[in-house]
Amino acid sequence: MSTIAPLEVRKLSKRFAIGSALRRSHVHAVDDVSFDLRPGRITALVGESGSGKSTVARLLARLYDPSDGSVLFEGSDVARVRRRNDVRRYRSQVQMIFQDPFGSLNPVKTIRHHLERPLRIHHIVPRSEIDERVHELLRTVGLVPPEEVAAKYPHELSGGQRQRVAIARALAVEPKIVLADEPTSMLDVSIRIGILNLMIRLKEQRDIAFLYVTHDLASARYVADDILVMYAGQIVERGPIEAVLSDPLHPYTRLLLAAVPDPAKQLHMERIEIRKGLAAAAVDPPPGCRFAGRCPLEIELCSRRTPALVEARPGQSARCHVTAPSTS
Amino acid sequence: MSQLDPTLDLPLAAPPRSSRAKVRIPGWLVLLLRNPKSRTGLLMVAFVVIVALLAPIISVSDPNAFNILVTRQAPSWQHLFGTTDQGSDIFSQVVVGARRSLLLGAAAGALATGIAAILGITAAYMGGIVDELVNFLVNVFLTIPPIPLLIVVSGYLKSRGTGTMIVVLAAVLWAFEARILRAQALSLKNRDFILATKVAGESTPRIVFGELIPNMISRIAAAFVLVFYIALLTDAGLEFLGLGDQAKTSWGVTLYWAQTNSTVLQGEWWPFFFPGAALAFTVLGLVLVLAGIDELSNPRLRVERVRRRRLLALLVGGRAAARAESSA
Amino acid sequence: MIAPIEESAVARTSAETLLELRELEVDYGIGDKRVRAVDGVDLEIRAGEIVGLAGESGCGKSTVANAAMQILRPPAHLVGGSVIFQGEDLVGKSTEELRRFRWRNVSMVFQSAMNALNPVMRVGDQFVDMMQAHERISKRRALGRAADLLEIVGIDRQRVRAYPHELSGGMRQRVIIAMALGLRPELVILDEPTTALDVVVQREILQQVQDLQRELQFAVLFITHDLSLLLEVAHRIAIMYAGEIVETAPAARLATEPQHPYTQGLLESFPPLSGPRARLTGILGAPPDLRDPPSGCRFHPRCPHCLPERAGLYARQTSERPLLREIAPRHSVACHLVEEEGAA
Repeated sequence: MSTIAPLEVRKLSKRFAIGSALRRSHVHAVDDVSFDLRPGRITALVGESGSGKSTVARLLARLYDPSDGSVLFEGSDVARVRRRNDVRRYRSQVQMIFQDPFGSLNPVKTIRHHLERPLRIHHIVPRSEIDERVHELLRTVGLVPPEEVAAKYPHELSGGQRQRVAIARALAVEPKIVLADEPTSMLDVSIRIGILNLMIRLKEQRDIAFLYVTHDLASARYVADDILVMYAGQIVERGPIEAVLSDPLHPYTRLLLAAVPDPAKQLHMERIEIRKGLAAAAVDPPPGCRFAGRCPLEIELCSRRTPALVEARPGQSARCHVTAPSTS
Repeated sequence: MSQLDPTLDLPLAAPPRSSRAKVRIPGWLVLLLRNPKSRTGLLMVAFVVIVALLAPIISVSDPNAFNILVTRQAPSWQHLFGTTDQGSDIFSQVVVGARRSLLLGAAAGALATGIAAILGITAAYMGGIVDELVNFLVNVFLTIPPIPLLIVVSGYLKSRGTGTMIVVLAAVLWAFEARILRAQALSLKNRDFILATKVAGESTPRIVFGELIPNMISRIAAAFVLVFYIALLTDAGLEFLGLGDQAKTSWGVTLYWAQTNSTVLQGEWWPFFFPGAALAFTVLGLVLVLAGIDELSNPRLRVERVRRRRLLALLVGGRAAARAESSA
Repeated sequence: MIAPIEESAVARTSAETLLELRELEVDYGIGDKRVRAVDGVDLEIRAGEIVGLAGESGCGKSTVANAAMQILRPPAHLVGGSVIFQGEDLVGKSTEELRRFRWRNVSMVFQSAMNALNPVMRVGDQFVDMMQAHERISKRRALGRAADLLEIVGIDRQRVRAYPHELSGGMRQRVIIAMALGLRPELVILDEPTTALDVVVQREILQQVQDLQRELQFAVLFITHDLSLLLEVAHRIAIMYAGEIVETAPAARLATEPQHPYTQGLLESFPPLSGPRARLTGILGAPPDLRDPPSGCRFHPRCPHCLPERAGLYARQTSERPLLREIAPRHSVACHLVEEEGAA
């Protein structure tokens, strides 16, 4: 294990203003999120739509500015950095893969262009070696023969191939951290495994720290080492993936587990209780647990005080008054 | 391919054979030629361009030469389009006038579109203060009525040369297109591939010129054609009113002289008809090209949303179906 | 609580064939730009049966559904085969006859249907519209029925007065399902009904559909790319690849004894939620371009059992299209390997 400093996220929050200037409210898309990304480990960030998981990824990619909190990379807070050189340095270390393979490539540019730009911007290799490096990147992600692929346009490739190009582009700068925002959810089922295997291989061979954002628990279990479960903008459970999935603390994690189709359980589908509620970020949320209305374990305290993330078992924390009460 | 390294893809299928392997016709031209409207339009405009290029050769006499021997002659073999009251050959006037018209239209089009594109797209991408400034500027220019402004400006300007006209026309026409291009850029700027280049570390000018604008070529081309023919018509209109440089040879000036000399009252239709027809022909060609571009750039998008609603209505078979069928 | 789909449940469904697709062929486009999206599909649905049709993007499954409802839109057109509903061939019927047949006998929930609700009409009024198109009923009674239907799918009755944008995506999809059940059709076609929805909402809707199906006993054709859903919900599953059906079997059998290499590959593509975390391989390559499909068995470029070393078999795999053959009760496979060596 290398000694590269990880990415540390501390109390990250993002609020979006909605409504007019007179009746302004705020959507708490991300609320008090803290975690670390370590080299050579894949951390899954799991949640449903609106839970804030994509916003977290975009905050880390500096596509948004946070409302609160900090993102520490090699010791300094990159969220507040403004100088172009510092931003460029960060961008040479932290890259992102997007969900839509049909949208993340410029339709009027060749594959070669997509891979060449990051190489040129960050001066990864001298001009004369760019072609060779482009071909090498394509080979790394399994797109061969590289000379042919490099000359193609995005519409000439399949979804899975385009996603491999997106991965190659992310790898071009030799990043320490890769943020993968639902990289397989728009791909056919039989293609997904190939992409996931590629991620695992890159993590092992290059010691990259991956953040794998997804709503699919099964694929999270397949690739990830650690898991963060998000609900309505907050992290409600975290820990090593096997521990969390085999014995979840938080009721929402249990609900997710029950809801995911599992071919191994095949013919014995668990019924879940239907309760009203959305996983989406709350607007101007009052204090109290955001899952309370849907929770089978709800007690009186839940609607009064927001639970804190408490380490109820070694390495495993949850945000729940009942299963992970704070000992204060 | 081996089972041991499942991430390797199979070689790409051979791309569909292009039938234009010999001559490299640019893709956009192929598309325009395929569309019947723009094909006709392109041919018409090409014809005018060729006439303009050949003007020195095919115009039999100096367009401005006076010849009292052949005044007010109807069209004949010596004077294909007849002569003016001063004996000038109208055919030569029309043919030479084409040069000025095309030059003026193209230059005004290019200038206006250039300003509109740079200002509009940059404002859209950068947002914030830049956007507000540009919007303000656009609004100011939009509220100024173009024709009265042109009349006033032309009345006051010392030089009424072609160059001045081009600048004045561009100044009046850029704002309209800037708004349209800004709107399209706004819709593009949050597409994943733009975000991806931002995350890769690309600078703003590079993103605007290298990634955004190449995706807006059809709209920019449409803007150019639009300004082209509006400039043509406006310029001819101004000259007809006597506000142009009457020493120059152009369609509008020919029309002006035709008007001032009350030729129609004397039954002489040719000084009006031929320059007017030339103008109409050119404008029609441009309008057809524009129609073709529009058809090409608004393909299935609009249609898809409507399709779904009509599909449901059709299935359900209610009143909505009848309504949907009729609202083609 | 457990809701297993046992073999006995299959036996309970009547032997009456409700819908039969025979040698269905659908083309997109005409002339040299023609692409055959559906190439000789045979499918049978019995009364009260839930049949799943699984396949990846571009395999033609949605086209099959559209053909069954006779709602193919240009450039798609039916070029061969029959759609036989309760003994009558729908192909060639008049528009009026089809209108009466649609929604009353067979209804459909298509992909992203929740976005197809009329945004300026209240939900209840859209129900009324539908019902009045098919029978004489007063608006008051129709609204009452609409409220009943909303309750059946788990939505509060009061929502009859709501506009579509006031409801969440999951609720709108349930409204569409309620509308699809409004006239008590014998068959409901669901085309990717839960794809755009979150996993918890998806589970709720599937549970709802299962409960309703058990109670009202309608047949279902459930089309999706997510085979894992079908394994839990369907009685019988058909696997589609590149415009053809390559295997059909009862769900339990398909899960435990899949015969076609593509089915096996698909099942291998679902990472398990429990048990050992083994490395999976998925299926190499990509679905073919239907403008130029592979010769012989369309799956052969991706098939781990297609090897030049086995000359005789290889020759057949690359030149001859395998036909669906029944190898066990209601279990058919189109595969040269299975033909040659028997069931795996």
